[in-house]
Amino acid sequence: MTRAEPYKNEAVLQTAADWWARLRDPEVSDEVMQQWLEWVYADTRHLDAFEQVTDLGHRLGTLDDVTRRSFLGEFTQTPATLRPRPRFSLSMAAGLAAGLILIGYMTWNWMAPGVKQQVYASAVAENREITLPDGTRVALGGASRLATRFSKSQRQVELSAGEAFFQVVHDTEKPFVVTAGPLTIRDVGTAFDVRRTGGRVTIAVTEGRVHVEGNVGATGSSQRSSIDAVAGQLVSYDPAAPAFTVGSVTAEQATAWRSDRLEFNNEPLGVVVANINRYSSRQIRIADAHLEALTFTGVIKTDAIDRWLGALPQVLPLRVSQTPGEVTLSEAKGTQLR
Amino acid sequence: MDKLRHVGDGDLGAMTSAGYAAQIEKLCGEHHRALLAFLQCRLNSLADAQEVAQEAYVRLLTLECPERVGDLRAYLFRTASNLAIDHLRMRQVRDRVAAEADLAEAPTAPPSDRQAIAIEQLHGIREALRELPAKTSRAFVQHVIEGRDFGVIARTMKLSERMTRYHVTRALAHCRARMDEPEMER
Repeated sequence: MTRAEPYKNEAVLQTAADWWARLRDPEVSDEVMQQWLEWVYADTRHLDAFEQVTDLGHRLGTLDDVTRRSFLGEFTQTPATLRPRPRFSLSMAAGLAAGLILIGYMTWNWMAPGVKQQVYASAVAENREITLPDGTRVALGGASRLATRFSKSQRQVELSAGEAFFQVVHDTEKPFVVTAGPLTIRDVGTAFDVRRTGGRVTIAVTEGRVHVEGNVGATGSSQRSSIDAVAGQLVSYDPAAPAFTVGSVTAEQATAWRSDRLEFNNEPLGVVVANINRYSSRQIRIADAHLEALTFTGVIKTDAIDRWLGALPQVLPLRVSQTPGEVTLSEAKGTQLR
Repeated sequence: MDKLRHVGDGDLGAMTSAGYAAQIEKLCGEHHRALLAFLQCRLNSLADAQEVAQEAYVRLLTLECPERVGDLRAYLFRTASNLAIDHLRMRQVRDRVAAEADLAEAPTAPPSDRQAIAIEQLHGIREALRELPAKTSRAFVQHVIEGRDFGVIARTMKLSERMTRYHVTRALAHCRARMDEPEMER
């Protein structure tokens, strides 16, 4: 038998790798073996791909000691121990002790004298607890990114993606200001959650009071607008809407994501999916743009996203098609959506 | 009459067993490649995979009541899977004895049939791993290169086992896909 062309499609290799991982379980069931055989014989390229990933796994599992150690050195050390350490302070030591060592990505640089800048980012499906140098505690949601810039007169934090819950240590001398897209949120000694989904931002206040400011209204006609929100209030900003929307929210709802539950109250499917994708190993894609406007209310457990997807067609007029790497939501045939 | 019948029975028996052997031979021929791939995946060693496959074929040929086995293909893979488990257990015992005998030797010493991997390929894999999120390449290196279990990695990295598996398989697929690319592009 001539060796088949290496199969270049990463999707098939991904499926092959999934089988590779499943079959390595010593307690693999007959059923799984049967399913694997069915997959193997469904397409001649499948066994090629399986052999390729197995062979690679085998070769990498039997590396010589020197190569092995160099891979372990480069990829299994935590970033904090790899990067040169900045000057050590007491609060940093506390932060490190609190688990900062595991921060996936972390850079330090000294912009101007007295200005400290730092970037925190989390991976998909990963929530992180961070203590900032001023003692403010931040819970960072999945696939989120936060940059801090602390100077003598101000504490600036930018949420460029995802969601974060802030428990701010109040300091009248140094206001704590969060920017999320076009909005700035100024705390007045408080705890609040900020979720950013593209241009849309929601702010849920669980304690104290915040001052939210931003350009509201369609581009061109937009005007500076501001609003004060207190504990129990939810402020939503939608770039397409003419004003802020204010609703109510409990502290449990606002931070449900910290207990692996994503809560949505009458939110567009596009927003729901973008937020689920921050917790899903397989990215969900909406194939038909008009599906994005369908609204969804409900709770999704981040460890049961598949179950939610399974039930979704019963709730909304759409079809769910799944491949190992991606899930696609498309219009259910024979349904008119307007 | 009695005598004739006996001869007949004997012939019939011989034919059935010859027929069964041919059937098994055909089955093993058809599934040899898949069985080897399956066993190599389980055992992480081609030599061991070949050994276990041979043993599984022998088990099937010497089966007492083959007619009681409904699905011979399923039986072949089940047998091979069980033999692989025994094999891994024996390997563990051997490693432990070796480790006790010589403490300097790492218990996770790779199997003897080391398969060489070209320097350029290693370089490509390193590059491919750098393209991935740190967590993904870290889980992959710990499982595939260091030989840690999914469960152990999940605990040290504070991930679910499902996510650990996802990181490892994603990196494996990515590295393998990147190995094919240079010939395509350059």
